[in-house]
Parts: sequence; structure tokens; C-alpha cells
Amino acid sequence: MNFVDLLMLGFSEAITPANLAFCLLGALLGTLIGVLPGIGPTATIAVLLPITFFLPPLAGIIMLAGIYYGAQYGGSTTAVLVNLPGEASAVVTTLDGYQMARQGRAGAALAVAALGSFFAGTVATFAIAVAGPMLSGFALSFGPAEYVALMVFGLLAATILASGPVLKAIGMILIGLLLGMVGTDQATGAERLTFGAVELFDGVDFIVIAIGIFGFAEIITNLERSGSEGVQLAPLSRLWPTRDDFRRSWAAVLRGTGLGTLLGLLPGGGATLASFSAYSLEKKVSKHPEKFGTGVVEGVAAPEAANNAAAQSSFIPLLTLGIPSNNMMAMMLSAFMIHGITPGPTVLTNQPEIFWGLVASMWIGNLLLVVINLPMIGLWVKLLTVPYRLLYPAILLFCCIGVYSMNNRVFDVILAAGFGLLGYAFRKARCEPGPLLLGFVLGPLLESNLRRTLLITQGDPSIFVERPISLVMLLATVVLLALMILPSFRRTREEAFQEEEA
Amino acid sequence: MAAPNGTRGDAPDLLTAGMFIGLGALGLYMARGLDGGTLAQMGPGFLPRTVCILLILIGLAVGLPALTRPAQAIEAIRIRPLAVITISIVGFAFAATYLGFVLASLWLVIVGSLADPGGKWSHILLLAAGLTLFGALVFVYGLGVQVPLWPV
Amino acid sequence: MTFAKTTAIAAILTATGAGAALADWPTDRPIEMIVAFAPGGGTDIMLRTLAPFLEAELETQFPVLNRPGASGEIAYTALSQARPDGYTVSSLNTPGFLTMQIDRKLRYDPASICPIARIVEDPGTFIVQAGSEFQSLADLVAYARENPGAVSVGTTGMGTDEHLAMLQLEQAAGVDLTAVPFGGANEAKTALLGGHVSMIGLNVGEYSTSDDNAFRALAQFSQERSVLAPDLPTATEQGFEVLMSSERGLAARCDVPEEIRAKLAAAVDAALANPEFQEKAKQQALPLAYRSGADWQAEMPARLARFTEIFKLIEGGQ
Repeated sequence: MNFVDLLMLGFSEAITPANLAFCLLGALLGTLIGVLPGIGPTATIAVLLPITFFLPPLAGIIMLAGIYYGAQYGGSTTAVLVNLPGEASAVVTTLDGYQMARQGRAGAALAVAALGSFFAGTVATFAIAVAGPMLSGFALSFGPAEYVALMVFGLLAATILASGPVLKAIGMILIGLLLGMVGTDQATGAERLTFGAVELFDGVDFIVIAIGIFGFAEIITNLERSGSEGVQLAPLSRLWPTRDDFRRSWAAVLRGTGLGTLLGLLPGGGATLASFSAYSLEKKVSKHPEKFGTGVVEGVAAPEAANNAAAQSSFIPLLTLGIPSNNMMAMMLSAFMIHGITPGPTVLTNQPEIFWGLVASMWIGNLLLVVINLPMIGLWVKLLTVPYRLLYPAILLFCCIGVYSMNNRVFDVILAAGFGLLGYAFRKARCEPGPLLLGFVLGPLLESNLRRTLLITQGDPSIFVERPISLVMLLATVVLLALMILPSFRRTREEAFQEEEA
Repeated sequence: MAAPNGTRGDAPDLLTAGMFIGLGALGLYMARGLDGGTLAQMGPGFLPRTVCILLILIGLAVGLPALTRPAQAIEAIRIRPLAVITISIVGFAFAATYLGFVLASLWLVIVGSLADPGGKWSHILLLAAGLTLFGALVFVYGLGVQVPLWPV
Repeated sequence: MTFAKTTAIAAILTATGAGAALADWPTDRPIEMIVAFAPGGGTDIMLRTLAPFLEAELETQFPVLNRPGASGEIAYTALSQARPDGYTVSSLNTPGFLTMQIDRKLRYDPASICPIARIVEDPGTFIVQAGSEFQSLADLVAYARENPGAVSVGTTGMGTDEHLAMLQLEQAAGVDLTAVPFGGANEAKTALLGGHVSMIGLNVGEYSTSDDNAFRALAQFSQERSVLAPDLPTATEQGFEVLMSSERGLAARCDVPEEIRAKLAAAVDAALANPEFQEKAKQQALPLAYRSGADWQAEMPARLARFTEIFKLIEGGQ
């Protein structure tokens, strides 16, 4: 069978009424849990797994996949509307998305995010269909040394993200790295920076930090500035993006899609790296980098496209090699196995209807999400007109339930309250929290891969320049560093900063 | 925002420096017992210490120039929202475990609402009841969050 | 609330309520099943699959409560603080339950937790790429003798099953291998496929769910060959004494009345005998191996001693 036949087979499987219904159900459920802060798709899928026993294999898997990418869509809604990233990949969406919302352009931000995501999802789905097996080779060529180079590059690129002084951004990344080290050291089993608390042996959870520093601190500062009366957003100017918005976003979406599709293949921090490197890239190529962080549409379009593309392409290693690239994919693996299917090359040849049916359903699911979400934008935006006095207790409640539900324990909620205080202090000190979260996510990957590399080579660091991918990335890091240190670059940064102050 | 009296010191940057140096020092203190190891067999203390030292250096680099810059004040701090929101969250945590979701949620919404003066009691109570019902239906029944509804 | 206080309250409640509870057990209220791992992990899925069968056996409900963290310590601590009325059970995993007694100061007393029944025994195994030159443990050992430290072994961290198995092999064969810790079995598999490490440790259950064309197993570390891999020789058969299995089962507090624990064990035994459950277990590649709580517990002291001995190797500079 050739490619077109296989894709047709996939679509014929995916558009049976039952499969379509499960796809829609999954996408809706995913959107719901994505919008609710702190409730992640992993836990939801775990709870739903036993239910899928009673479904035919393909229907069950389609529904679970729908929850996953639906949650990606929903997550950006919360990031834009209330400045609360539900997961690491949505951190950068808050930077410009929330500023757009404050200027009364929440509708435009959400629409661009949805359309950009749909485009990216379409491209990535076809990338899976056409080049899945080939792309999986790319993921395998990333050994520990390549990861180290990628993370070093990524962490440096994270400083571009912040619009404040570089030094503060680097400091925040370092704090993030430090937080990432809390817990049991993977390599030696030593307990680090835990204050002896058994609850910290596995480290701090991303959700705890994000909800504390973004969610709780935001509520406290908002109330402090002027009480609930004062939290006023600019009146809604226009629900849909302008022609100018589209003109400025399309190239950003393209670049974001490309980056996201490639980085999504990598296990671990793929989707996070994708969204923020897409943002950093836009800021670098933009003619007016100083405007980033004040509500520019490219700053929403690129990372949203990137993280949705990455969400789709993270299926590639699972489907073609049987190796899940993150927790979510590990859950999908369990879902396959419950139905007696072992993902891998043999599924491609023996049960093509499963692989192609899922690929086709992903595209259909993305289409459904756009169709569901575009009309919902009007509703979401209305939410912003609810008086803050009524809105903030609701946000507070959803955040608390989200944090509590992760491990069902008091400790996490109190820790999140502590991070709320820390986030409050950061705001007083005018430090942006975005780079902290990225340092937190990428730090453990950097450390463990650095140690792995040096264990494998028995202490010889020359491997970093001997392997081509690692060499290229390290050279790119050096160039980036040079650009940042060069006086001319520094001047433009400072000018930009002053412009903001003015 | 420069203060009129002509004193020096960029307070937000000094606060930043204080936090960076403080967290770095705390990290160094906590990592004191950890083994540094060698490059080939990196110990658990290697990177934490490196990061803490860098953090302290960055703190100094931010803080020292800030001492001589024209004075800038930190935004005024108001205790009410800070304290009330924190207390409401901590109370929720304990209540959810020992008193069940319904009481925890009512506590959180009612106490949390007090962070903002001037709310009407009738509104707050209505909101608390509504959100609790919504939370119980969506989170506990719908999404299977593992928390008891009533005191155990 | 302090531990002592909780225990005191629990004791009072037991004294007053035990008689009544025993008579009605287990139909008057649900039995909470604490799972020591996050939703979606192997142990979680196994127990969620088993729960409906236990519910049918005992005519009650088994709601699952996930208390992940610290490789089970958080769940065991929660179990040891629950009322000893038979309405709280927990997952129990070895070697984690045993190894944490060696090197950690625990917040609960391991002697207060008694196994009810073992459900699964999943032997450890070493796997290499399908194209690797190593066909057996002997090949590997011969190569490692020539090139000390050159064989890198992917594990899931210090003191984990795979690491302990590797240390045993080093000791049994007198070779020097390099342990490379990964974040989990899947990360390690990826690194092996990409050729970044020579070999990785896995459990047979995890191995049998991978595509056979990509990997080859060298040995399994159980006393007898697992039902999942009847053709794979054990390390002992190949002349190296390496024994390492991860076992999963259920546990309750030791002061839960004997009668209730026996009923629970019988229910687990019956559920495991149910062909419908066996079918589901097969799909999930669960190597079922029922053993009664008493038998299982009897094996533990010897194993603990052996692990303690291996742990000394780590401290001895390995």
C-alpha cells in the first residue's frame, strides 16, 4: 500500500461515527482540564484508563490522544486570560498573551493561538505520516553529550526571554536551577536541599512553583495595587485579529511549527524547549525586539504553534519505536498495552489501521478543536468582564484543588503558598519569573546528562566537540554569548529597557 | 519614581541582590554536607555549589551598582491581601484533608474574599456556595480528584 | 498532628470500634487502596485492574488513592498511620521497601507493615541492542575483563534494582562496569537504541513489551525462569549468581486482625485465579506470581541481609 492508500485507510477508520464521537469527547475533556489550572492531562488519563478497557482499542486511544492535545489548547487559554501557565510549555504564552489581554485584545490573542496551533498541528501530523520513522532516527542521535549542548544553548537563550536586565534574568535562571536540584539526587541517591522533608525527596513539582509564583502572587499583587475595583482591563477593542495581526504572525507560526516539530521528538523537555526557543527566535529576528513582552502578536503565535507541533510530534518516538518521550506518552503506552498492542515498527506493518487511524484522528481532532474553540473565544473573553471580586476566589479555588490533587497532600498546597510569597517578593524586586521556570525545567536535564556524558567517557570532555550535533550547538551558544556581550547589542538592550520605563 | 529627597539606592535592585545572595547562601549552607566529587564521578554537591556561588556573584553584580544609583522606592506593601490570601490557602490545605472538600472550599472562598475590603456578605456567601457546588461536581465527581467531600 | 497523637487516637478508636468493625467487615464501607506511585505507573495500573475483581470477591468497593513519593515511603507512612481496622491497604513493592530500610531514617516502623499477598514477581534482566556482539553474559564478562570500565550500563539510579543487579554481576564475575543513571526505563531504552550506552537493566515485564527486533536480553535474574520469558536463561544457569526481582503486592498494618488479613489474601488469590483477570494481566505483561503474605514475609529478612551486603559495596567506593 502506498502512502495515500494508507492515509485513506486511516481516515476511513477515524471518521466512523463512534471514533469521531470519542475524538470529540477527548478533545472537549482535554480543553476542560487544560483550562483548569493545575489539573494535568496525565492524571486525568490515568483515571480514565480503566474505562477504555470497554472500548475498542482504536476508539480508546483516539479519546486519550484527544485529551492530550485538547489540554494543550486549553492551557493557553488560562495563560492568556489570567496569566497562569498550566504547564511549562505555556510559560512563554503568558509573556505577551496576558499583556494583549490587558490591552483588550484577548480575543485576538486566543484566535491567533488557536489558528496557529491548528496550522502547526496539521503540519506536524503530516510530518508523522510522511516521515515518522525517519524523524525517529533524529531523536536517537541525541545522546547525553548532545543534550548537554542543547541545554546550555537553551538556558542562555532563555535570558533573551526576559525584557528586564540580563543579570536579573541570569539570576532567576540560577534560582530555577537550584530549585530543580531539590530532592533525591538521581545518580547517587543523596538527599539534597530538602530541609529533611520526606515530601521533597522527589523534588518540587512544576505545578506547585507555577501556581505559587504566577497564580497566587498575581492575585495578591492585583488586590494590593488597588483592591478588586482597580483590576480593570482595557475595554475589548475587537474580538478577532486584525489583518495586521495575521500579516505579522504567519511567518512566526511557520518558524514555530518547524522548531516545534523537531524539538518535540526529543524526550524530556522537548515541548518546553520548543515553545521558548520559538519565542527567543522571534525576538531575535524581529525588527523591534524591544516590543516583546508588551503584547505583540508574534510572541503568542510562535510559541503556541511550536508547543502544539511538539505535542503532535512527541507521538513519533512512541509510535515508531515504542518509546514514550514524556510522562504523557508513557500513559499512552499503557493505554496501547491494555489493549494488547505493543507500539513499534511491527504495529506499522501488522496493524496499519491503528497507526494511520490515530494519525488521521489527530488531524480531525485539531480541526474539531478549532471549530469548538473559535466560538468559545467570545465566551472566554466575556469571562474577563466578570468583576475581579468574583473572579479571583474562583481562580484561587481552582489553583488550590489543582495543587492538592497532584499528590493528595497538604504539603504541596502549603509549599505553593510559600512560592506565592516568593513570587510576591520577586515582583517587588522587579524580577521576571519566566526564566526561573525554564531553569527549573531544564536544569535537571542539564545536570543528569552532563554527569552521564562524563561517566560514559570516563571524565573526558572532548566528546562535546567531537560529536557534530553537539559541536554545532556549542558554537551557536558561543555566537549568542558574543552577541550579548558585544557593546552594540548591550546598548540596544538598554535602550529597549529605557523605552519600556518611559 | 525617583525619591525627592536625593538619597541614593535603587531599592528593587537591592532587594533582588538581597534575595539572590540570601538564596545562594542558604543553598551553600544546605549543600555543605554533600560530596563534590570529581569531573568523571561528579558528586551530588558539585552543581548546587557552583550554582550558589554564581548566584551570589550575580547578586553582588546587581547590588553594588544599585547602591550608588538615584533612589528608587519599592512599591508600597499592603499586609491585608498578602496575609489573608496566604492564610486562606493554608487553611484550605488542612481542611481538605481533615474536614473534606465542602468545608475546605467554603473556607477558602469566604476567607479569601476578605482580602478585598468592601464585598457584600450576601455576594460572598452565594459565590462560596456556587463555587463549592461547581468544584464538587467538576473536580470530585467529574475528574475524580481524590478528596473526601465531607469530614471523615 | 504528631505521630504519637495519631497513634494514640488510633489506638482508642481501635479499642472501642474493633469488635463492631470486625463483624461487619468488609461490607459496611469502602476499603481504601493506597498506591505508592503516581497514576499510570505499572503498580497503579496493575491495582486499578485488580480492584474490580477484588470488589466482586469481597462485595465492597476499593477506591484507589495515589500517594506517590520517596519510592513508597510516603504511602507506607500513610498506611502505618491509618486505623488498623482493615479498611486501608497499600501497595507494597520490593526491593524498594527493603532497601529504604538500609540507608534512610524512616518515618514509619517497617515492622508495623505486614504483606497480605504478593501479586507479581518481575525478574530483572540486562538487555543489549539486537545487533550487539554480546550473545550471553559470558561474552559480556569476557569483554569487560579486557576493558575495565568500558561497558556502560544504563540504570534508573543509585540503589535501584538494575544498579544492585549490576553490582552483583561485578562481584560474581570480578569485572568493572560503569553505571549510568537515567530518569526511567524509557530514557534508558532510548539511549540504548541510539547506541549511547552498551547495555541497560530492565524488568522482564518492561522488556517483553518492547519490540523484539530492536533488543536482545542476556539473562534474567530470578531463581526460576519467569512465565513471561520461558526461553531466557537465568544468570544462575549461566554461572553467575545474580538475583534480583521486583515484586508487587498488597500490605496492611500488622495489627489488623489476623482474620481480616487472611480474608483479604484469599480474595487476592481468588481474583488472580479468575481467567478474566489473567487475560488482562497477560495484555499488560504482568508476570503473576501469587504468594501468601506469611510466605512472602518469611523471605524478606534474608533478602534484606543480602541487599545490605551489596549496599556496602557502594559505600566501599563502587
